[in-house]
Amino acid sequence: MILYVNDEQITFFPGMTVKHALINSGYMEEIVAGKKVYDEWGNELGLDGALSEGTRIYVK
Amino acid sequence: MKISEMNVYKQIQRCLICIFLVFLLCCTVYGGTEEFRILYVNDFHGFAQGDRDISSGELQGGIAYLAFCVEKLRSEKHSILVAAGDMIQGDAWANLFKGKSVIEIMNAMGFDAMVVGNHEFDFGQDVLKERISEAQFPVLGANVVGFGGLRPYIIKEIGGLKIGIIGVVTEETPQSTHPKNVTGIHFLPPGETVEKFINEIHEKVNLILVLSHVGYTNDRILAHRVKGIDIIVGGHSHTKLVSPVFVENTIVVQAFEHGKVLGVLDVTLKDGKIDGVKGRLEEIQPRTMTKHEIIAKIVERYEHAIDALMNVKIGEAEETMSAEYVRTRETSIGNFVADIVRETAQADIAIINGGSIRKSIHKGAVTLGDIYSALPFDNYIVALKLRGREIKDILEHGVSAVEEKSGRFPLVSGIAFTYRPMAAKGSRIVTMYVHGKPLEYDKEYSVATNDFLAMGGDGYTTFAHAIQVAPNYSSTGGTLTSSKLIYNDAGRYVRDIVADYIKTKRYVSSRIERRIQEIE
Repeated sequence: MILYVNDEQITFFPGMTVKHALINSGYMEEIVAGKKVYDEWGNELGLDGALSEGTRIYVK
Repeated sequence: MKISEMNVYKQIQRCLICIFLVFLLCCTVYGGTEEFRILYVNDFHGFAQGDRDISSGELQGGIAYLAFCVEKLRSEKHSILVAAGDMIQGDAWANLFKGKSVIEIMNAMGFDAMVVGNHEFDFGQDVLKERISEAQFPVLGANVVGFGGLRPYIIKEIGGLKIGIIGVVTEETPQSTHPKNVTGIHFLPPGETVEKFINEIHEKVNLILVLSHVGYTNDRILAHRVKGIDIIVGGHSHTKLVSPVFVENTIVVQAFEHGKVLGVLDVTLKDGKIDGVKGRLEEIQPRTMTKHEIIAKIVERYEHAIDALMNVKIGEAEETMSAEYVRTRETSIGNFVADIVRETAQADIAIINGGSIRKSIHKGAVTLGDIYSALPFDNYIVALKLRGREIKDILEHGVSAVEEKSGRFPLVSGIAFTYRPMAAKGSRIVTMYVHGKPLEYDKEYSVATNDFLAMGGDGYTTFAHAIQVAPNYSSTGGTLTSSKLIYNDAGRYVRDIVADYIKTKRYVSSRIERRIQEIE
């Protein structure tokens, strides 16, 4: 089961949140620096938001 | 004109007048325009005092400000106020009272309905039942089987309109909470459930609103697959839908998280059908907004209660458990916390990061505030099955930056190891013993840690790689099975577990036991 952060594949973990995905993919520091997270439709996501398999999120 | 012709003429006249009156009546009932407003929040998680942006530190939200907005907007037209789940658990403002504070606020604000979110189950079924009994609004959960107190739907009348509100929550709820919290409960597929209840009520209502805690992606799927849903008010994914999204014939909305925004959806109906919608998110900015005084007083009362709780003695430390060296060597406080983590998960071993402990626990009276200071992060316990060689890799990583006093330094329970700090990184570990026996590289052990490390935080990629979901991973009937993940309680933070442990034991102590030894 996988999901994508900036089109990079990471392993999906049951109960995973956006924050977890960012920690896993190494993008958390960029969030602390001021970037935001968006879904594939361009909507901003909260860091505690739940993720599901196949989700694509983008840090920008 | 003959008399008979006059009678016929009069009868025709009367018929025409009747037809005209019936036509007028129909125009009045069906030809008019109706308007109403839906105000919505989701994933509030008890952030009554607002939430600070992780980057700028700016405070956003604050329930007293949101409540003022609600009252103002409600005064403008017929409105309903709904919540799409995950309201009562999260911030200490909610957790310390097991969500009671949030229900009191929601009652004071006059919520019309709420759907349970996955985190509503985190305090256990008895507590959730208690919260539902306190709520002065219906709590919905149409796809939750085996748990009383939840209604599948309600029919809400607003200004002559009847709105059917069906509530559904994610089937993945069991994956995000302790298994004991969902014992005997099954979470059915939301789509089929919604379809079933639409068939039951669609002839009784003017429109169907689904209050959904399944996430935006699944809301879109729901809108595609299930006919007859007019509006989905969503949650779970913490998505900031700044304006309504149209999926097939369904309007989908969601209001971000933590009360940072209030969702406003104005719906116009003509001839009983939706003729237009206008939606937006009101940003809740404490700097520029006005507080609702009654709600502000409730928030303040619980703030004072928190201050009091933080100063209450929960136990006694027989010796000081110092956090000074948690990033460089074995400590009594590290052993203390790691032991609790291991025991809670009933694992063979626990490995947590030194950086998760920020303050010492001093000899003498221990307060809740002391524990919250010592363990300030919102980490929860996760346990995995790992092979001995993976544990070795984890320990190697843990000691690889000891000279930099890195937060990754491992605090352990159930395992003892020796290492050479001057050796090359990746080759420092010398011996490892699990409960007195040499670690076996091919043997599987249960290892408890926190979610931060499990996700690969502090560079612990071995943990993250080990959570490759096994081929036999499945979620059947609401129960998670996986050959790797054996414990995952996202609803209880480590600090609360440690606090509860101290409350139970009353007197606590820990000591250095040579679990971690440096070798020259």
